[in-house]
Amino acid sequence: MNRIDKHPVLNTTQDRKKVNFKFNGETQRGYENEPVSSALIANGVREFSVHQVEDAPQGIFCANGQCSHCTLIIDGKPLKSCITPLKEGMEIRTLIHLPELPPDDREPENFKPLNLKCDVLVIGGGPSGLTSAIELAKLGFEIILIDDKDKLGGKLLLQTHKFFGSIEDCYAGKRGIEIAALLEKEIRTYSNIKVFTNTSVAALYKDKKAGLFIDYKNYALVDFQGLVISAGAREKNLVFPGNDIPGVYGAGAFQTLVNRDLVKSSDRIFIIGSGNVGLIAAYHALQAGITVVGIADILDDVTGYKVHADKIKRMGVPIYLKHTVLTAEGNGKVERITIAEVDDSFNPLLEKAKTFEVDTLLIAVGLSSIDEFYNTAVNFGYNTVKTGDADEIAEASSAMFGGRIAGLQLAKILGKDVEIDESWFAKAEILKSKPGKIKSEPVVEINENYTPIMHCYQEIPCNPCISVCPSGSIKLEEALGNIMDLPYYTGEECTRCGMCIAVCPGLAISVAKKLYGEWAEVVLPHEFIPAFGVGEFVTLTDTEGNEIEKCEVIKIQLNKKYKTYLITFKVSLENAAKIAGIRVQDEDKIKPLPKPVFNYIPDNSILCRCERVSVGEIIKFIKENNIKDANQLKQIRVGMGACGSRTCSILLPRIFSAAGVNWYEVTQATKRPLSIEIPMGAIINEESGETE
Amino acid sequence: MKKYDVIIIGAGSIGVPAAYYLANRGLKTCVIERLSSEGRGQNRAAIGGIRATFSDPAKIKICQMTIDIISRFKKEHGIDVDWIDGGYLFPVYDTVLEDKLKKLLDVQKQFNLNIDWISPAKVDELVPGINRNGLLGGTFSPEDGSASPLKVTGAYLKLARECKAEFYFDEEVTGFEKDGSKITAVITNKDKYSAGIIIDASGAYARDTGNLYGLDIPVDPDCHEAGITEPVQPFFRPMVVDLRMDEQSANYYFYQNKEGQVVFCITPRPQIFGKDTDNTSVFLPLVVKRMLNLYPRLRNLRIRRTWRGLYPMTPDGFPIVGRTKEIGNLFLAVGMCGQGFMLGPGLGKIISELICDNTTDYDFILNQLSLYREFAGTEVLK
Repeated sequence: MNRIDKHPVLNTTQDRKKVNFKFNGETQRGYENEPVSSALIANGVREFSVHQVEDAPQGIFCANGQCSHCTLIIDGKPLKSCITPLKEGMEIRTLIHLPELPPDDREPENFKPLNLKCDVLVIGGGPSGLTSAIELAKLGFEIILIDDKDKLGGKLLLQTHKFFGSIEDCYAGKRGIEIAALLEKEIRTYSNIKVFTNTSVAALYKDKKAGLFIDYKNYALVDFQGLVISAGAREKNLVFPGNDIPGVYGAGAFQTLVNRDLVKSSDRIFIIGSGNVGLIAAYHALQAGITVVGIADILDDVTGYKVHADKIKRMGVPIYLKHTVLTAEGNGKVERITIAEVDDSFNPLLEKAKTFEVDTLLIAVGLSSIDEFYNTAVNFGYNTVKTGDADEIAEASSAMFGGRIAGLQLAKILGKDVEIDESWFAKAEILKSKPGKIKSEPVVEINENYTPIMHCYQEIPCNPCISVCPSGSIKLEEALGNIMDLPYYTGEECTRCGMCIAVCPGLAISVAKKLYGEWAEVVLPHEFIPAFGVGEFVTLTDTEGNEIEKCEVIKIQLNKKYKTYLITFKVSLENAAKIAGIRVQDEDKIKPLPKPVFNYIPDNSILCRCERVSVGEIIKFIKENNIKDANQLKQIRVGMGACGSRTCSILLPRIFSAAGVNWYEVTQATKRPLSIEIPMGAIINEESGETE
Repeated sequence: MKKYDVIIIGAGSIGVPAAYYLANRGLKTCVIERLSSEGRGQNRAAIGGIRATFSDPAKIKICQMTIDIISRFKKEHGIDVDWIDGGYLFPVYDTVLEDKLKKLLDVQKQFNLNIDWISPAKVDELVPGINRNGLLGGTFSPEDGSASPLKVTGAYLKLARECKAEFYFDEEVTGFEKDGSKITAVITNKDKYSAGIIIDASGAYARDTGNLYGLDIPVDPDCHEAGITEPVQPFFRPMVVDLRMDEQSANYYFYQNKEGQVVFCITPRPQIFGKDTDNTSVFLPLVVKRMLNLYPRLRNLRIRRTWRGLYPMTPDGFPIVGRTKEIGNLFLAVGMCGQGFMLGPGLGKIISELICDNTTDYDFILNQLSLYREFAGTEVLK
């Protein structure tokens, strides 16, 4: 079984009930109520269905209930396996082409329509939705909060790493999973917040009602006075040959499998995109015992935080800048991927290709706001606010703070007399900040006293190190006058308590001291279960991952509060200030094949995944028919699938421009409800048990 | 000023096929459309049914021509428009409707339509698993069928362009210049055009267009909502029309298209007039309850998308087709009452023959569908 049984942060010994199920006739085991898709991946299944176009194998893609690639025949019905909980005795089959409708001809009884009522409907129980619901609840509003997962917290539930930001405003230094638990606990204390998990909004209607698909079983109409749109974001996709084969999916899907469901989905992964999502996915993979062969980014610099990138590099993951993915190839699943350097116009240089053997390619090229609900709400004239990633893509720290503001703003719109502290808006802006200037690495003198060394010299909104230092001897520079400023050590009061080392989300603080002669000791953070003992020698690196020397481990301690090991090494004095991290991945595991192996036919890339329409087909259709309206692409099925073009519409500008059409002259395709497919039986609440 | 032989206002179910047939006859034709592409008015909302089994000579003739064209479309033009000859089935659960439909059968048979009464067993064979509780039988017309409105209109656009018809999208007609009883120019927000004949195919906007050229065109759209499911393997073939009514709705109908998706549409009761095409919460519970009572097997079928479209209604439920007395070079092809898609191809061909050949073959149609009729009767099977 491909399960994660050891993890430095997550509890892998959860008491979960094992169940048996059948997949294509063979008995397999999984955990009760875990998503069927995760149970299958843990059993090594990669192919979920066979598309009627070209018999193409389909694997997991969004793991988020949005696409329909994981559809399987479960107990006779075609269901999305990533939102179907596993039960004892389930009969599961690969879906081949179109499903057969089960001949269930029982006469339906007339069941009660479900009607709900609230003051405010909050769509999305992630960081921003939860904090806005709390603010609104404090003011006495009756709230319905819905989320499409079984636990509240949104993407916080996937974030096993410590957060940036500030402790006072957004729990900096705590892990996303811990913050989710805190927020959920707070939410549950308000009797005026009704929570519906496993619930999706299917549509917002003109007559001021929302259609909810509750527990993926029942359909309810809810009346509301105001709406908070905190529906988050969806992962952007990329167009390249092989982008549709099982094993190519988003970083978010990966984090779901690994961090939420504790499934070891891969052995070797490659990541496209060096934003914070890609960088952190690499970190999560390493913590789950998965080899990260590399990260590529088409730009000439890392787009995420430098401390994140440096941390990953120190662990031994190469970042290939100015590189793009050429192909993902393999027989029915990813077996190898090829990247190539790009020229200044971002065209790949095929002669500079490198092929890597991996089983998974993660796409982490950014997020796009889920904006359709907000647009509809505005169009219908509802009282509405949007917040979090649904408003603007930023860190969860910013979403939590922004959510509070959004909640109060809606309260004001709904007529409550509330004041919003002016300083909050400034803070919100800072928390949303993109990384700022990179300053030069300061030279630190090592002496007989403990000295904290900050390997942190890019401006980012983060300051927990100054909050945890008991002697107050870490301070921020006063260049900008906010938490974007860089931290520095003020003097001589360091007691080596280790709090700053353990709290730093970037693992960017070491503490060093001269021992004797030409020797020094350095204390480094380590968020892995140590694979070494005292007395062993370990490869240490500088801030950016260059190997410095192999050093002896002299002490291993665990900081329980921050679940971070502090490892003390005996190092040479001259290197003590430079040493910043511990290599965890061997170099020989991440090398490309001696010669690249690939077949690059860009037109074969799939744009519309639901209906399997290729880039080549679309470009030809646009050119031949002088297409100026994206709705016309529906003639060749683009956007007609389950996701309603929510996955591919973001890729269309590139395709139109490749066909020689200026995107700004193209009419965009209409997005219509439903945003999730609902069985007819659920619309009339056949399973609710209450008859009319 | 750009000069054409024919200007068509509206690139929808009627305008696009007409443009092809006229351009194919060598007339210099252009189409002016306020939206960005073909069929974006109500054609996009049509579900795709095509039948000739009406009870009046005009619609029977026009739709027989449409069926003839669409059923041979792939062979003739090499474009698959998803034609299925699945027939139309009207299942019957009460004797009142049974009597009404049987009486209608006599009329329909006089027009040599292939339609007959079938037994409950035969109904069940056509729609396996249909609710047999109280089922008395139904009428079935095997030569009727369905096609994809999206593909048909897209195909006609392509064919029309191949015949040099020109399309002006994102362009709105804002006025007309007249000289006595003749339109001398069509004015848009972008340009000015003149032509020997102007065809008004402005669908749900016919009354507005009429106001611009100064005629009272009695077309008032009402709203219908429709939906489509995920695709599954084919499990029934005909268009099923349930003519019963309940408190909130009149008839509804559904079929499985060539992709395997079930497409359905319902008529609200009372009618909702207006041009608002935003979705409301009433539709899904209403239509699903009725569909599942008729056909329980649909319970596990997932609904994918819903939308609202307009039926450009006339007072008597019949289209308005023909020249006007007041304006000599104006030809009306409006008020299709929700049947524009099935009327379009046949009507386009007829219009081209009327304009090019001065034929009298279709006088019975022009008389029946004249703007100057009484508008007194009502269509039996709207």
